[in-house]
Order: sequence, then structure tokens, then C-alpha cells
Amino acid sequence: MRITPAEVTALSLSIKVALLSLVIMFPPGLLVGWLLAKRTFPGKTFLNTLVMCPLVLPPIVSGYLLLILLGKHGVIGGFIYQTFGIEIVFSQWAVIIAVSIISFPLLVRGIVTGMEAVPLELENAARTLGASPFKVFWTITFPLAYRGVIGGTILGFSKSLGEFGATIMVAGNIPGKTQTMALAIFSAVHLGEDASVYRLVLISTIVAFIALWLTERFTLR
Amino acid sequence: MADSTKIRLDFRKSLGSFTLEVDCTLEKKVSAFLGVSGSGKSTLLNCVSGTLTPDEGEIAFGDEILYASASKINLPPEKRRFGYVFQEGYLFPHLTVAQNIRYGQPPSWKSSDAIDVLEISELLQRYPKELSGGQRQRVAIARALAMKPRMLLMDEPLAALDSALKDRIIPYLHYVKEAFEIPILYITHAFSEAMALADEAFLIADGEIMASGEPHRLLTAPSAMPIAQMTGVENILFLPVRASDKARGLTSLEMGDQSLIIPYIDIEVGEIVPVAIRAEDIIISLEPNISLSARNILPGKIQYLDVKSERTWLSILVEWHHLAVKITHEARDQLQLREGSKVYCVVKASAINLLWD
Repeated sequence: MRITPAEVTALSLSIKVALLSLVIMFPPGLLVGWLLAKRTFPGKTFLNTLVMCPLVLPPIVSGYLLLILLGKHGVIGGFIYQTFGIEIVFSQWAVIIAVSIISFPLLVRGIVTGMEAVPLELENAARTLGASPFKVFWTITFPLAYRGVIGGTILGFSKSLGEFGATIMVAGNIPGKTQTMALAIFSAVHLGEDASVYRLVLISTIVAFIALWLTERFTLR
Repeated sequence: MADSTKIRLDFRKSLGSFTLEVDCTLEKKVSAFLGVSGSGKSTLLNCVSGTLTPDEGEIAFGDEILYASASKINLPPEKRRFGYVFQEGYLFPHLTVAQNIRYGQPPSWKSSDAIDVLEISELLQRYPKELSGGQRQRVAIARALAMKPRMLLMDEPLAALDSALKDRIIPYLHYVKEAFEIPILYITHAFSEAMALADEAFLIADGEIMASGEPHRLLTAPSAMPIAQMTGVENILFLPVRASDKARGLTSLEMGDQSLIIPYIDIEVGEIVPVAIRAEDIIISLEPNISLSARNILPGKIQYLDVKSERTWLSILVEWHHLAVKITHEARDQLQLREGSKVYCVVKASAINLLWD
């Protein structure tokens, strides 16, 4: 079995995009997860719904909404185009944005689950021992929520690796530029390149399997 | 106690349909709040620690205002420096005992005193899950002391322990009381703990302070019967010893002309013995001449009968002592009990507990 350079490009783009998306989304994921798990504030239900929306929307719909927002005439895309002269749609940035939006709910879900399991009483005990809310977060909440955090991270990462619908809408399917693994499989099936399909499917399966195995390994004991 | 460590509590806090409303000053070294669960005592402690914010009022430690709704002061818990010992311990499970103790410890402060007093130096490298219940509570107390607190807040620190363990932890609480020059606010539903430790006691029920005073006086006053009911041990009697028979393993106490038989204690005739009997440990009989293993069959008269949702409460006059008795509605109906009924109170000697310090 020989992997073609084009397939390597698609695979490495998928991994690069998933990693970058994770690095970018982890801090806001932590913040939003903490807010949803530990705080009450007006608009909490709205924030939760907004963040979770991509989980229930068809990815193609999320992608279309992104396309409208990020296009040259969209609210965000228009602003960026006029200010920096950068066109987001159909660029690698579009891939990163698409997979980030789609995988964010999974990341947040894991973090929320992990943090909800940390008893408020332990956090209060830490407060009475002189710890600021910031110190409580880093010394109590975060370390005790680690299983949920790792679970959410790996699930989100795996989702990013395989994202298809939103990516193709907002980033297109440009080989070497925005064609990720999932898009490459789609193209290969279309073109009837069976050997390529088998290789890509096998690689995807192995990557997904490793990711899930790692999740179980870290979160279950 | 110096004025600088008087604690002034004057606030109101509503949680759902429950309202806690207190107005009191803690002046002694150890102040106990006694009440059943749901009486508001934990709410009170959380308001003092700052983990809960009252709706209005004022909380002051000496001259320092910790909370005042009028001037919008609310010191966060981490600034109050009150060591909090929780019923469940709440040790941090991912940290060792040593790390737990160090968590709130100021850099210039030594924790060795706390570790010595509570005798936990052997446990420092262990994780909380490797500790027994009693060890966990000792570590929790040490952790609260190691933060150099200005006051110690204790929320039923012994409630999660069985009675044998309780007896072993109480001396540690005494050591703490003696070794550390800080006031202690102690919350409990256990009569005996308040008697053993507190210098002043507050009885709290339905979110209100019902009575306060020196513990022995407060808890044994004739008016204390409803109070004693609230605190779980419903009958507290102070009875002189009539005779003590080591061979038979029994001691007999004077209850007017009646005798109350308890397990043998080595004590002089005429000494006063404080005893506690739980209301559900007293059996009601209409006949005196029944064959029972129980040693005490005391004639009395039902003074009043109070039908609560789950049980019927009886107040029975035996000689001049009131006994609170808790029975099922079914038993009440079957025995046709009413106010004025003549009954016999049957009590096993082993159901009578001594209230020694």
C-alpha cells in the first residue's frame, strides 16, 4: 500500500487544522465550560444553546451560515476584507473556523461534565482557606475536572479531523489548500479511485480509533 | 474573651421558603449552635464564612465589618481567614495530606503545631482516600488550623463518625481549644458535644434562635424539654445515685420515689448523674405486670399528646420529671392514649446514656 503525496497533504492538513483549532478553542472552551458549569448569570441558557447549536444543526447549515457571515459581503468577512484585505472564505482559515465551530460543543460538553462533577463544597473549602476564585480554578476545579477536559479535548479533536459538511460549504474542496481527509475521500469516491478511498478510509479509521482509545485510557480507570 | 474577638451576627437569609434570622453576639471561646438538620445552623455558618451572602443585616468580627448590607460590604471568604471544618471533611482528593494542610498556610506560619496537636504526622504522605473517617476529620481540623485562622468554624465535625470514633476525636477538640487562642463556632445537633465543648450555647430552630446561655444551665432547665426535643436527645435528666451494685452490674438512680436502673457505674451514692434517653427508646405499656427484660417500668401520666406528621409525641410526667416519648400513630390508637391516661414507661437500662464530659 503506497500513500500518494496528495493523500499525505490531505492527512497533514487535517491534523494541522485540528491541532490549530484545538489550540485556539481550548482557552475559550475552558472559560465557557466554567461559566456553564459553575456560574449562574442572565443569558446562561442562551449561551448554552448558542454553543451547542452546531451539534444539532446539520453541518451543511452551520457551514452555510458561516459562509454568509464570513463572505466578502458578510458582517464579519466584509469587515476583515476591508480592514486587512484578507478573504477568509475558501482559505485554510475557513477550514479552521469551520471545524472549530463544529467541534466546540463537544469540547465544551466534556469540560462542563468534568467541572460539574467537582463539588461546590470543595471549591468553597478552598475559598475559606484563602484561595481566590482564580486560584480555586487552577488548583481545585481544573485538576479535578481533568477527565472531562481530556475527554472533551479528544472528542473535539476527532470531530475536527473528520469534519466535512461545514468545511466544504465555507472552504470548498481545493486539493492542496483546503482539501482535508474527509474531503479527499469524498473526491476519491466521486472519481472512482477505489484504491485511494480504501487507503484514506483505513487511515481515518485508525486515527479515530487511536483518539477514542486515548480518551478511554485517560478518562476511565 | 477580648472585645476584639467578639462576633456579632445580625442578619437575615432566605433560601426558598426557609428564612434564617439571627441577632446575637458570641462572647465566649467556644460557642455552640444546637439544632436539628434544617434548623438553619449550616446556613448560619456559611453566612459567617462568606460562602453564602445574607439578604440583609450585618456580620462583624470585633471591630471589623465582614458583611453589611447597608454599606454594601461583603468580604469574600478568602479574605475572612476563618478556618472551616466541614462535616464531610472535604479534603482535596487529588492532594496528599501534607499538600492539603499546606493549601491555606501563610508562608511565615508553621503548621507543625496543628500536626502535633492532631497527631497526624504519620499520615502526611497519604491521600485522603487512604484515611479512615476519624483520620480524615483530624486532617481537616489541622488544615483549618494551618491557615492561621482568626476563628474556627466547625460544622458537625463529628457527625459522620460512629460513636466510638467520636469519643476519640473529642479530646483532640479539647486540645485545639486549649492550644490555639482563637474563638470557635461549633455547630451540632448532638447535645453531648455541646455539653462537652461549648462555653455558651444557642438553640436554633426554624431559622430562629430560641434560647441561649451557659450550656449546662440552658440544656437542663425545665423549660428545655421542647429544646431538647429539637436537639435529638429528647430526655435529659439529672438524677442522684441511690445505690450501685457492682455484682449485678447495675446502678440505681433516684427518680422521685421511683428508681431508674442504668448499667453499673463506679460512683458514690448521692452524686448527681446526667443521663439522656431518646424519645423512641421508651416503650409505652398500659400494664405494669408484664414480663419484660427491660429493667425500668415507670408509672406516669400523659400530660399532653402532640400529633406530628409522622409520629405522636407524648409528654409523660413520671414523679416530677417529664419524659418525651415518640410512638407511632398506630400504637397511640391501639392503646387509646389520650391526655390524662395512666401509662407505664418501659426503658432498657442500656438505652440510658450517660452524659459525661
